[in-house]
Amino acid sequence: MPIKRLFVANRGEIALRIVRAAQALNIETVVAVSDADRDSAAARLADRSIVLGPAAAAKSYLDPRLIVHAAKESGCDGLHPGYGFLSERAILPRLCAQHGIAFVGPEPDVIDALGDKLRARAMAGAAGVPLVPGSECVASAADARREGDRIGYPVLLKASAGGGGRGMVIANNGDEAEAGFHKASAEAVAAFGDGTLFMERFVPEARHVEVQLMGDGKGQVLHFGERDCSVQRRYQKLIEEAPCAAMPDHLRRQLHESAVALAASVNYRNAGTAEFLFDVQRQEFYFIEVNARIQVEHPVSEAITGFDLVQEQIRIAGGAGLSVSQQDVKISGHAIECRINAEDAARDFLPSPGRITRWEPPQGPGIRLDSHMSAGAMIPPFYDSMVGKLIVHGSDRADAIARLGDAIDHFVVEGVPTTLPLHRAIIAHPDFIENRIHTRWLEQVLLPDYGKKAA
Amino acid sequence: MTGHDFPDALKQLLDEFSRSGIRELHIRKPDFELYLSTDASAARPQAATPVAAPASVPVAQPAAPSRPIAAPPALISSLPDDAIIIKAPNLGTFYRAPKPGAANYVEVGSKVQAGDELCLIEVMKLFTAVRAGSSGTVQAVLVEDGAMVEGGQPLFALVRD
Repeated sequence: MPIKRLFVANRGEIALRIVRAAQALNIETVVAVSDADRDSAAARLADRSIVLGPAAAAKSYLDPRLIVHAAKESGCDGLHPGYGFLSERAILPRLCAQHGIAFVGPEPDVIDALGDKLRARAMAGAAGVPLVPGSECVASAADARREGDRIGYPVLLKASAGGGGRGMVIANNGDEAEAGFHKASAEAVAAFGDGTLFMERFVPEARHVEVQLMGDGKGQVLHFGERDCSVQRRYQKLIEEAPCAAMPDHLRRQLHESAVALAASVNYRNAGTAEFLFDVQRQEFYFIEVNARIQVEHPVSEAITGFDLVQEQIRIAGGAGLSVSQQDVKISGHAIECRINAEDAARDFLPSPGRITRWEPPQGPGIRLDSHMSAGAMIPPFYDSMVGKLIVHGSDRADAIARLGDAIDHFVVEGVPTTLPLHRAIIAHPDFIENRIHTRWLEQVLLPDYGKKAA
Repeated sequence: MTGHDFPDALKQLLDEFSRSGIRELHIRKPDFELYLSTDASAARPQAATPVAAPASVPVAQPAAPSRPIAAPPALISSLPDDAIIIKAPNLGTFYRAPKPGAANYVEVGSKVQAGDELCLIEVMKLFTAVRAGSSGTVQAVLVEDGAMVEGGQPLFALVRD
């Protein structure tokens, strides 16, 4: 049954994005807010906003019972979790199901399976998806040395329950593997309450490439092309592009097929992303993980395909099948997104909440801004520092870079420092222009110089 | 803060305070004192002139059926300047009695002591008691039994004895 009233269980730009998508589908919206977000753009645009509780996320956006209670009591028959917060916690769709609310996302059992990296890796292997050479569970420091010797150094020790780079250690030899085992295991226990580790070959100069997927829950899965998210700092993406201009077509086809096969093997429902490492020297790609939600960087895929992925998500959650077939998904041009964070890149990316005093975004063909900000808006200190995403679409990569540079030059923000000047520096760098970057390029090449110039 | 810009500055300060998540703010100058607290039952400082006490508070309508999307419209009702407003700690369903059919915890006119239970807030069958922060007399019950309340919504007005 199509969703009539959608509950938005998130904040910031994605809450606004979901409200707009629902409105385009003539669906009513209820936005849940914390006390700090009472006046947010999403709350103002929605048909209704509901205060969950205090600013602290644990007492508002991260409490699944509070959220489903609010959704039920406000008469909602659908719930969109956005990204982050509870979006990949299976308890949210389980509670939704108990109360007759359609969850805009995958089945809870699929979320659980994909959220466990070892299980996800096994599922990928079973679906014929290339895996980075690696180990099963590593139980001891001696195990870590033995597996490291077998896989070949450098190796990466990773937490099975991990994410965001926590519980991850690189080892260049057997001694480092043993020491790394203790460090990563302790970190994983502290961060996730689970010290289970596994190991895999570390690719020093890898690109991060991912495939946007959409499944109907009955085994049919479409892809909307791939994205290249190699500009990262501490495993956090800063710039995302679509398509991946560094990947030859025959590999691109294999990448899409692998991602679709994996999602189809679990009858994946709704939006998801299969993430891969692309080893440019070896011309191989390896599975990393599946993100069982819409991602921050989905707009670049929308730009090159012309589809609205959030609207498609809401339709599928309401019981509709996929609105298109794979041959309708045509890739056109090149898109780049940069994440605008209220951070001071010159001061070690210090988060800088506060009030925006001037906010004059660029306009023009091929420019899209997803943001909940405006002049006078307050960035509360309780949540992440992203204030918006600037997306440009050009005829090819060079055209997109030129448009992005122009757009950043005409973007006026005052009141808080943002990462816009950093983005300007990145896209002006010869390595970026010539597409010679990898996931550690920003930290190893650009940032050391950038710090000096800023000082 | 001078007399001239007082109303605007105060409004801005209240605005900032409510956004900030700060629980308590106390400013004292020779000719001026201001005490703000998010805890309606907080004890005010001895010599304070509580300019922040609301002259009136919104009173909720009877619980709206879940079908209409709009929140129940708030009514304004005058309460004494020194009324203590008890607010909901988080969203949930408001219950005036410990169980169906039982007597309400309090009625208008009930005398309460600090720590007395005033109502329950239910979230997914989990019931949390809301307690009085200080002694007083219940002046008004601002929400209908069984209604959904939002985080921070006023539930009761008490007057200090």
